Amino acid sequence: MRKAAPQELQPGMVLAKPVLRGTMVFLNEGAVLTESAISRIESMGIDNVFIEGKSEQPIPRDEAMALVENRFRNHDDSPVMMRVKKILSEHIEKLYD
Amino acid sequence: MTEIPETGELRAKVESISALPTVPSTLKQISSMLENSRLSVNELGSFISSDPALTSKILKMVNSAAYGFPNRISSISHAVMLLGLNVIRGLLLGVSVFDLMQKHIVGLWEHSMGCATVSRWIAQKKGIKEPEEVSVCGLLHDIGKVILLLHYPTQFDNASALAREKGITQHEAEKIHFDATHADVGSWLAMKWRFPINLVEAIGFHHQPHLSRQASLETAIVHVSDALVRAKGTVGDNYTRVPEIRPSSWELLGLSDDDVMEIFNILEETASEEAGEKECQEAY
Ligand SMILES: [Fe+2]
Ligand SMILES: [Fe+2]
Repeated sequence: MRKAAPQELQPGMVLAKPVLRGTMVFLNEGAVLTESAISRIESMGIDNVFIEGKSEQPIPRDEAMALVENRFRNHDDSPVMMRVKKILSEHIEKLYD
Repeated sequence: MTEIPETGELRAKVESISALPTVPSTLKQISSMLENSRLSVNELGSFISSDPALTSKILKMVNSAAYGFPNRISSISHAVMLLGLNVIRGLLLGVSVFDLMQKHIVGLWEHSMGCATVSRWIAQKKGIKEPEEVSVCGLLHDIGKVILLLHYPTQFDNASALAREKGITQHEAEKIHFDATHADVGSWLAMKWRFPINLVEAIGFHHQPHLSRQASLETAIVHVSDALVRAKGTVGDNYTRVPEIRPSSWELLGLSDDDVMEIFNILEETASEEAGEKECQEAY
């Protein structure tokens, strides 16, 4: 899931969260956006909607990995911590694919 | 060097939370309300409903990923019915204390929300009957930090600085500066507010889960969630060293590699969700 401003929306994108108008659901999650739905969303004056897809990462991959090394400092003797670190590294790799 | 308050004195001071000028009046009101052993579901519901800001914060919380209900909950009475008295009491404290949190300790709100989400997920996986109660444990586990900071700002800052310098945990540094820790403080408050024993122990022993006698599973869940959320890192806090997971707690939960991966994925999703909500909120 990621955030997108109304002007970034393209037909075919899928909503990851409902778009509300007041307390009413205008479009539900899972809805596939059409040209007309996008122009209505644009006219509603909302800042962002949530769509399916990967979010852009705020920092480059190498920096993210260096931060992991730093957060796991002095844990090399703990098998549990090393296992968690390994899974976390795989998780982060996937975010940058 | 500033004086170290001894435990008895510290506890008395923490429990007199209502006397503290830096504590906002709503929180004082909530604190004294929760001390009342005869507080009914209806009274609690109407207290919350009479305050629109509180109502919307609590509804936002129950509709967040930390609780994961499939359908939108749109009223306090519905929330109370679904979640029960203790969970709503916990959420009420959560939303009122964490305003303070956000202001004073960078990243603590995100950390607490993350722990609430992960704690509920693991609790559900382990078949615990009330996973929402465990979620509240995760939400409130570091509440003692806020209270320590409000009562003893200098010592708290010194403890944090010591932790950074020496590469020890905040918990260890607090022992040196306070003779008690944020976990102790949290459990004293949980008792004062008449929370059930599993909440008191999960908060009080989240850094020493082996000491829990009556809630070892819940305590292990909060202990492991705390570490996994630190491992993933939050936007506000990417540097804090991950606290070491006790092998006995890890074994008790028996999480698979896939489970841990799923937890990191959930944290990734909810982080972007929250960032979005924060922006929307600020726009109003
Ligand atoms: Fe803690
Ligand atoms: Fe924590």
